[in-house]
Amino acid sequence: MRKELEAQFAVQLHDAVVCVEKTDQRTIFIDVKREAIRRAARIVTDAGGRYMCGVGYDNIARDGTLGMVHTFSMDQNDYFICIRTKVSAIDPVMESITPDLPSAGWSEREFMDMLGMQFTNHPKPKRLVLADDWPAGIYPLRKEVPYDLVPPGAEDVAYQLDEAPPGTRVVPIGPFHPSLHEPEHFAVYVDGETIKGCDYRGFMTHRGIEKLCQTQVSYNEVPFIAERICGICGSVHATAFSQAVESAGGIKIPRRAEYIRTLMLEIERIHSHLLWLGVAGHLIGFDTVFMQAWRVREQLMWLCERLTGNRKTYGMVLIGGVRRDITSAIADDIRAVVKKIEEELRVIHRAIEKDSSIHKRTKGVGTITKEEAIAWGLIGPVARARGVDVDARRDHPYAAYNDMKFDVPVLTDCDVWSTLVVRVLETYEAIRIIHQVLDKMPSGEIFVELKDKIPALRHAITTVEAPRGESTHYVITGEDNRPDRWRVRAPTYTNLQAVPLMLLNEQFGDFPIIMGSIDPCFSCTDRVAVIDLQSGKARSMTRRELEFLSREQLHRP
Amino acid sequence: MWITSKIKQILMVMKPGIVTLDYPRQPAPAPTTFRGQPVWDHHKCLGCGGCANHCPARCILTRDVCQELRVMLYDGSRCTYCGRCADVCPEDAITMSNNFQTACDDKNDITTRLELFMLTCQRCGRCYEMEKTNVIDRMELRGFRYDNLERRALIRRTTDTFSPETLAATEQYQRPSR
Repeated sequence: MRKELEAQFAVQLHDAVVCVEKTDQRTIFIDVKREAIRRAARIVTDAGGRYMCGVGYDNIARDGTLGMVHTFSMDQNDYFICIRTKVSAIDPVMESITPDLPSAGWSEREFMDMLGMQFTNHPKPKRLVLADDWPAGIYPLRKEVPYDLVPPGAEDVAYQLDEAPPGTRVVPIGPFHPSLHEPEHFAVYVDGETIKGCDYRGFMTHRGIEKLCQTQVSYNEVPFIAERICGICGSVHATAFSQAVESAGGIKIPRRAEYIRTLMLEIERIHSHLLWLGVAGHLIGFDTVFMQAWRVREQLMWLCERLTGNRKTYGMVLIGGVRRDITSAIADDIRAVVKKIEEELRVIHRAIEKDSSIHKRTKGVGTITKEEAIAWGLIGPVARARGVDVDARRDHPYAAYNDMKFDVPVLTDCDVWSTLVVRVLETYEAIRIIHQVLDKMPSGEIFVELKDKIPALRHAITTVEAPRGESTHYVITGEDNRPDRWRVRAPTYTNLQAVPLMLLNEQFGDFPIIMGSIDPCFSCTDRVAVIDLQSGKARSMTRRELEFLSREQLHRP
Repeated sequence: MWITSKIKQILMVMKPGIVTLDYPRQPAPAPTTFRGQPVWDHHKCLGCGGCANHCPARCILTRDVCQELRVMLYDGSRCTYCGRCADVCPEDAITMSNNFQTACDDKNDITTRLELFMLTCQRCGRCYEMEKTNVIDRMELRGFRYDNLERRALIRRTTDTFSPETLAATEQYQRPSR
């Protein structure tokens, strides 16, 4: 596989390939010259690569360049392919790969904002991450920009939304809206009740986490901050970061620690899927499901409190292992709780699986085909509900997943209903995995003392299957006991890009549940930039208009 | 089948009944393993500053007012209750209590301030043995420290000998503002 790919590169790109480096069992780095980046991406895609994310980094202090990495996953062969290139900071222009790979659009726009790179032929070179009043020419992720820079705000700037298609009207949704749980702005173009398009302006909850962790804190403080990227899948981010640093530094952690990490990740999956099931019920106005799913979930939260010391933000993961051990008394406690959850979830599942009122709101809604899902690089339950068989736990096994036996549910109905079913089935699988973890867990240490310093400027990439899809972390180790560059690609970052496609030609009243079906987590997606909201004002509706619209909606047959 | 689903749903709701707790009238104590408000034991604390170095939220501050007096300040309003301070404390002077009811109208109510009389030889930070071999957690910031307690800001600057000039300079510290 690797040989073939190298041969392809040699034949098609000749001397544009600088070097090929294999750092561990599954990661291949290919350095190419900047002219060849698009062709290189095409070679990898043709060989079956799925685009994961782009990573830009500032290398100006070392050789006056900005680096760009496009990362791909070979799901069949368990490989990560990273195409690296560099451009000089004076002329940071390279060719965009977005015309070939639509899911690369955001990654490239992000580094236009954050590092000042330019991509030729990008179909939508608009601001993505930075606030509209952020001064031009200041690129927050460059090393010379201090982490606590606060430029003065401006009132008279606004984001220019896409031109509405002819014959449509704009309905703004957000930044604050009852169906959205976090601030983001959608401009939905409607023709009557039918959605004809949509523009997204988000990234309103930037907390500057990446910049903070690259400049201020030290390695073992980052897992706690990583955990706070997301309120739902915190353990995923902490584990992914720790694995990336361990992979870069060649640290081998005890097997028992890997088992405990697996256990925490699966507990998190159960709680996240139950939470989603409740929210989905709430979004379609079926609050019985909401109440019951969250009641079932509550006992898991109490279990986590006993197990880790907190309901959420477990604080279990550190580089080198985990912090708390699982004693046999706690193991019995876990078994009892997940058994009860399984029973109660089956009751809910049976009660809703044939309910025609839920079917009417979810079946045939939010449809996109398998081909479109692959083209947009969808991941997680959203992809698995569209017949795309991806799961990082099976494709790129990490922690203790290579010892576990589990099925990956894949459905082909391509609608919101099948994402619901996929999530419920996955919860049963997670319970199965938890039983296996507890049965097979080896004894031994849970934390390894680190004898050597982590060498600087090593690159590493890991993925962890979060409840919403795979979460990708890319780490470049640094000199000051902290990462030089840490890139987080949360699953919503990919899935959200395909939402306009899911919304196309749907009813406006189905917007909340379609949006909800990807289990969006905007704070994960927004983690990147430095400071500031202050987004543009789109034209807004009066209260009367809104009231009128809601009544119309209510009486829709 | 619409009607059987509805019957199943009614049974699903009836069986558990009311599950909400009558809190706060009926107390709901946290489990013993809970990571609640950290409690400092000033008899045990030797002022190494390890907790301040490892606090991800930067809510433990250390200031040397003079050669013999070190002030340790824990600002509970920013604490994330990760319990890292209790992990790294070489003297077990910090315990995570299971008190979670910390809402208050004055943030001084959840602030702990220790004023420790120091012997000069302990300044170097060598008392900090806990994770000596762990290079990722190696201790940074040994020596005299000058965090700004009024502005609750960690200032990453230390000196080998006590420096009144640095002390005066960090008192002027301004946070970035718009």
